[in-house]
Amino acid sequence: MQRVNWPLWGAGALLIIHSSAALAHDPVFGIGPHVLFKNGMEAAAEIYRKKADKKEETGLAFQVAYGITGEWSAGIDVPYSSRNNGTDTSSGLSDLQAFTKYRFWREDSLGLQESAAVMLAINADNADEKADPALGNGATDVITGITYGYESIKSYRWASARYIFPGKNAADFQAGNKWRVDFVAGWRPAPPEYKKPDTVWLLELNGEITDKAELNGNSLMNTGGTEWFLSPGIFWTTRNFAIKSGIQVPVASDLNGTQDKSDYRFKATFEWHL
Amino acid sequence: MKLSLIKTLLLFTAITLLWSNFSFAAGIQYNMRVDGLACPFCAYGIEKKFTKTEGVDSVDIDLQKGLVIVKTREGKTFREEKLKEIINDAGFTMKSVTEKDL
Repeated sequence: MQRVNWPLWGAGALLIIHSSAALAHDPVFGIGPHVLFKNGMEAAAEIYRKKADKKEETGLAFQVAYGITGEWSAGIDVPYSSRNNGTDTSSGLSDLQAFTKYRFWREDSLGLQESAAVMLAINADNADEKADPALGNGATDVITGITYGYESIKSYRWASARYIFPGKNAADFQAGNKWRVDFVAGWRPAPPEYKKPDTVWLLELNGEITDKAELNGNSLMNTGGTEWFLSPGIFWTTRNFAIKSGIQVPVASDLNGTQDKSDYRFKATFEWHL
Repeated sequence: MKLSLIKTLLLFTAITLLWSNFSFAAGIQYNMRVDGLACPFCAYGIEKKFTKTEGVDSVDIDLQKGLVIVKTREGKTFREEKLKEIINDAGFTMKSVTEKDL
């Protein structure tokens, strides 16, 4: 059932999927405080898929990041997306994202690192918002975030919050501001050894609280609301190569008006540190 | 003739062993106690930083003990401050270091 028109849904979807700015040993859907080592490079490829009733999106994104200092990283994300709204399909380049993360606090002890970071990301407006379904919202969006991480040899926990300020496009449409909050626990079943494969199991609780979108200054009733997801995932690494994967399963939903609830979201990321 | 050949081979072997011993003896092993090491993937930055440094022969990391072992080639030495800087640039904290001749 399609109650919300595609440009609106497209805007929301882009903000949901491409606001990760994930680096290294961070959660799959949330964010963590990890940054790259100074002068380090990260190359990553990510596949993702989401489904909400008849609406489906499948995508592939490439990410490159650079360690400016041991506490500050920056990079770009280039996503390619294919969308289907049950009747029409469109595909092409989605909005590019530039991001940066700064770790402003770090407390190290034997086998344990606690740290906190802030992040900033900008979503460009390059994607075709006139495609049907739309591939972008035709506006530049700003994403800010803060995250804390407790990472030990045995277990992990993270907490993060992001706030998304969507821009207003040429048609005077503006997607609703959005909070994303994440609480993540991680468990390593076997003690890690350097140069040996390492596995960490993750369980995330991801919340999304979205304001109503506006068109010509008027709130749109079938937009915005709250969704919560429980997301099991895995982080597997060997030396400088990592695979992260997880699936978001909706556990609570309170969407305004008539909207399609999420069925699931899947993400898998392959990362190399160079 | 045969005795001369054996003598030559023995002399060659002795010189080779001496040469090899000299070349190994000149390096230094630094044992660093490093805090914050919680995952092997993250620790890769330490190896990368050291192996890009001229004169470093090998890097090994023991996550359980928080130990980073760096062996250098002949003539290469590190000041403690430089070691701290490299470890910090990799995102960790060096607590102490000991060194011994190889």
